[in-house]
Amino acid sequence: MLIHNFLENSATKYPDKVAVIHDDQRTTYAQLNTQATNLATHLQANGITKGHRVALLLENCTDYIIAYYATLKSGAAAAPLNPGLKPDGLQYLLNDLEPSAIITNFKAERLLKAINLDHLNLRALLISNPKQKWTNTPYKVQTLEETTTAEGPVSVCQCVSVANISPDDLSSIIYTSGSTGKPKGVMLSHKNIVSNTNSICQYLSITPSDIQMVVLPFFYVMGKSLLNTHITAGATIVINNRFMYPADVVNQMIEERVTSFSGVPSTYAYLLNRSPLASCKEKLPALRYCSQAGGHMAKSIKLALRQALPPHTQIVIMYGATEASARLTYLDPKALETYPDSIGQPIPGVTLRVLSQDNKEVPAGYEGELVASGPNIMAGYWKDPKDTSRVLSEHGYHTGDLGHRDSQGFFYVTGRKDGLLKVSGHRINPTEIEDFLMTTDQLIETAVIGVPDHLLGNKLVAIIVPKQDTIDPNKLLESCSKHLPAHKIPSAIIETRTLPKNANGKIDRKHCIKIALNQLSNYAPQARHKPSAYSASPR
Amino acid sequence: MTEIKQKIKSFILENFLFGNDEGLTDETSFLQEGIIDSTGVLELVTYLEEEFNIKIEDDELIPENLDSINNVTAFLQRKANPELKTAAC
Repeated sequence: MLIHNFLENSATKYPDKVAVIHDDQRTTYAQLNTQATNLATHLQANGITKGHRVALLLENCTDYIIAYYATLKSGAAAAPLNPGLKPDGLQYLLNDLEPSAIITNFKAERLLKAINLDHLNLRALLISNPKQKWTNTPYKVQTLEETTTAEGPVSVCQCVSVANISPDDLSSIIYTSGSTGKPKGVMLSHKNIVSNTNSICQYLSITPSDIQMVVLPFFYVMGKSLLNTHITAGATIVINNRFMYPADVVNQMIEERVTSFSGVPSTYAYLLNRSPLASCKEKLPALRYCSQAGGHMAKSIKLALRQALPPHTQIVIMYGATEASARLTYLDPKALETYPDSIGQPIPGVTLRVLSQDNKEVPAGYEGELVASGPNIMAGYWKDPKDTSRVLSEHGYHTGDLGHRDSQGFFYVTGRKDGLLKVSGHRINPTEIEDFLMTTDQLIETAVIGVPDHLLGNKLVAIIVPKQDTIDPNKLLESCSKHLPAHKIPSAIIETRTLPKNANGKIDRKHCIKIALNQLSNYAPQARHKPSAYSASPR
Repeated sequence: MTEIKQKIKSFILENFLFGNDEGLTDETSFLQEGIIDSTGVLELVTYLEEEFNIKIEDDELIPENLDSINNVTAFLQRKANPELKTAAC
C-alpha cells in the first residue's frame, strides 16, 4: 500500500463526494484524483520520478493536495515547505533539498524572485495563477493549470509502472526545527505514513461522515496526518486559513457542521480566550471530537476546554514527533478525567519505553527518556547521518523527551532532555513553572526561559500573555513566592501580546530568549534575587 | 496622512514583499494575495502599536481594519480621531 493509494481508493469508492472545501471551492474525490494523475504524468514527462524531490511551496489549499498526491504518484518525494519563510530560510532549505521541481502559486512568487534558483538543477517551476514575469530561466516555467488538465487520455497504469515504487521508498522530507541548530529534513517512507495513518484512523474511528476542519499547515507533520487520515477514510476536509481572525473559524465550524477539529496548545489557548467558542456550545451539535498534539498543554487549558466545548465533544490528547510520522500515543478521551496529565498509551503498532541514560528500561514511576519503535519511525535525517545516529539506535527513536510510565501503563512527559535549565546549581524544568503560572487563570499562555547569568547560571524569565490588561505582574510573583521554592521563582516577568511561534504554532523559545535579552538590557540591573516586572509592548 | 500611508507601505514592502512592489496597490487585499499570513498579522500589529503609539484591542483584529494599505490607514485615522469612528463604519 502506498500513500497515494489513499486518494485513488477513495476516488473509486466515492468519486462524487466532496473531499475538500476551501472558501467557495468544493472539490470531489474524482476531481482531486484526476488532476493529481495528470500532474504526475507531467512530472514524469520531465524526468521527475523516483529518486527526485519536489518542493511544495503552498499554503493550505486544494492545489497543495493535488500537488502532494501528484508528487507521490510520480514516484518522487514530496518536500512541503513553508511559504511564509523569509528568503534566507527558503534558500537554505532549497540548497539542502536540491529539488527537481517546485510547485507553488502566485503568493510565493515574490519570495522565489528574492532568492537564487539557477544553481539548483531545477527542471520545472510550476506556478498556479502566476503574476510575475519569468524569462530566460534554465528551468521550465509553466502554470499549474496547464499541467493538471490532460491533453489526451491519461494512462494511470503507465504512471504507476514508471514510478515503480515500493513501500520502503522515500515519500516525504519534512523539515523540523529542533531547539538548536538548523532545520533537519525528516525522511519518511510510504510505509511510515501508511502505517501511522491506518493506526490513527482506527483509534479515532474516522469515517466518511467526518468533516475535519484544518487550521494547521499541511507542511507540518500533524497537518499532513489530518490530510492523509481523512482522504483515506473518504471524509471531507474544510480548509480554514483565517485563524488570525478566530471568530471566523468558529463561524465556519458551525456552518459546515464540522465533526472534528485539531490544534496545538496555542490554537486552543487562543480559541478559548480570543474567540466566541464558549458562547457557541449549543451551535456545535456535530462536533464529535477535538484533538490536540504539538506539545504539552497545561491542565488549566484542558479544564477550560472541557467547560467551553459541548458535553458530547470528546477531547483527544495526543503525543508524537515528526520523526514518528507523527503519532506515537493518544489518551482515550474516557481516561482524560482520571489521567489529565497523561499523554496516554502507544497507538496500535507502536512500542514506547522509558530508558535510562545507559539505555536500560526503568520501572514504572521512574523517569527516563521516551524511546519509540514501530513501522512509523523515520529512516533518518536527509543528508545528516551524524544527527541520525544520535537519535536512532537499536533501541529505537530517542525522542529527547523525559517522562515516565505509571503502573497502569499510562505515559507522562515531564520535559525536554535539553530543555532543563541550570539555576543556582538546580536543574529546573520550565514546564513545571509554566503550568503553575497557568493555574492562576490570568494568562492565555506563557513561556519560562533561561537567560544566561554569570552568577546564577541562568536567570529565569517568564514571558506572559495576560488575559486582561489589568494584570499585576507583582501579584503574580507574590503567588510564585507562596508556592514555589526560591530557585524556581522567575527573576522577571515580561508581558507581551502573543508568544513568538513557529509556523506550526509551537512556541519559539529561541525568539523568547531574544525578547527577554532585549527587554532586560533596556532596564537598570536589579538587585540579585529580587524579581521585577515590566512590559514588552504598550498595554 | 500621506506620511502614514507611506510608512505602512514601506513596512509591508520591506517585511513581506522583499522590496518587490509589483502589483501592490493601496487596495490590494493582504489575505487574498497571501502577502501576510497569521504570524504576519501579529508582526503588523506590533509595528503599528510601537510606531504609532496606540493599543489595538482584540475586537479590532478584523480584516476591515488590517487587510490593505487603505484599510490600515483609515483604521489609524479613526484611532487618532475617535469622534470619526461612527462616520468611518
